[in-house]
Amino acid sequence: MVIAGGFGVGKTTTVGSISEIAPLTTEAAITEVAAGVDDLTHTPHKTTTTVAMDFGTITIDPTLKLYLFGTPGQDRFWFLWDELSNGALGAVVLADTRRLEDCFPAVDFFEHRGIPFAVAVNCFPGSRTFRTQDVSRALDLEAGTPVVLCDARSRESGKEVLIALVEHAGRMHTARMLDSVG
Amino acid sequence: VETQVVATAEGLRELDRLTFERHDIVAVCRRPQSIAEIAAKLRLHLNVVRVLAEDLRSAGQLSVHVPHAGTAQDASVLRRVIDGLRTIPDSRGALRDSD
Repeated sequence: MVIAGGFGVGKTTTVGSISEIAPLTTEAAITEVAAGVDDLTHTPHKTTTTVAMDFGTITIDPTLKLYLFGTPGQDRFWFLWDELSNGALGAVVLADTRRLEDCFPAVDFFEHRGIPFAVAVNCFPGSRTFRTQDVSRALDLEAGTPVVLCDARSRESGKEVLIALVEHAGRMHTARMLDSVG
Repeated sequence: VETQVVATAEGLRELDRLTFERHDIVAVCRRPQSIAEIAAKLRLHLNVVRVLAEDLRSAGQLSVHVPHAGTAQDASVLRRVIDGLRTIPDSRGALRDSD
């Protein structure tokens, strides 16, 4: 599973609250793909940059293990998302209603690739409570895409979001199967 | 990143003769691990682990298992995931404030 969303929206917190291990962080190299984007003129010897990616695990049973990968916050690391999303069960797009536009790139990314995703609205203390249908309309989500209000710090809340996502993924796969035979 | 890696019997036998990162990777793979976990535990770059794991696999010291691509779309797997998620205890909730 992929946990996506804008910078500072609570991705690491979400991974940490639901993972059975403390979130691990690893660094991935930014290769030549980013070379045209990064201004290297002032640092001519620097050809790679690193980006931190954190992840956690949930053991479902002895033969099934879920990996939760938090995507790097910046949009331009899309190619890393591509790799993470390949074979992913689905994605959670974390949203902050104070900066809803921050999650547009993630929503676009998963919609275009047909990857099942759910939007989880992290209810920060002091932020106004929104209705899920308002968020759904503001993000122009495809019908059926779940929107769940959540507290990134709460494990119970994280579970609800993941369950909503997996149920949605099941419905999407069933619909595609019916389409292909019909 | 989620590819599973585990040390082979041969790899463990030859462990003492391996050096530096190769030694550490085989040692940490006594139990199956993902590439991402190895990188995080050994504080190595993801791509460094990838390259070394491939070398160790060629040498017969590691075995590498790529997860089935269709697993994520298998209805019975999705059902197991939902049931599994429901049984996770809530006890650890609301613990960290830092992000």
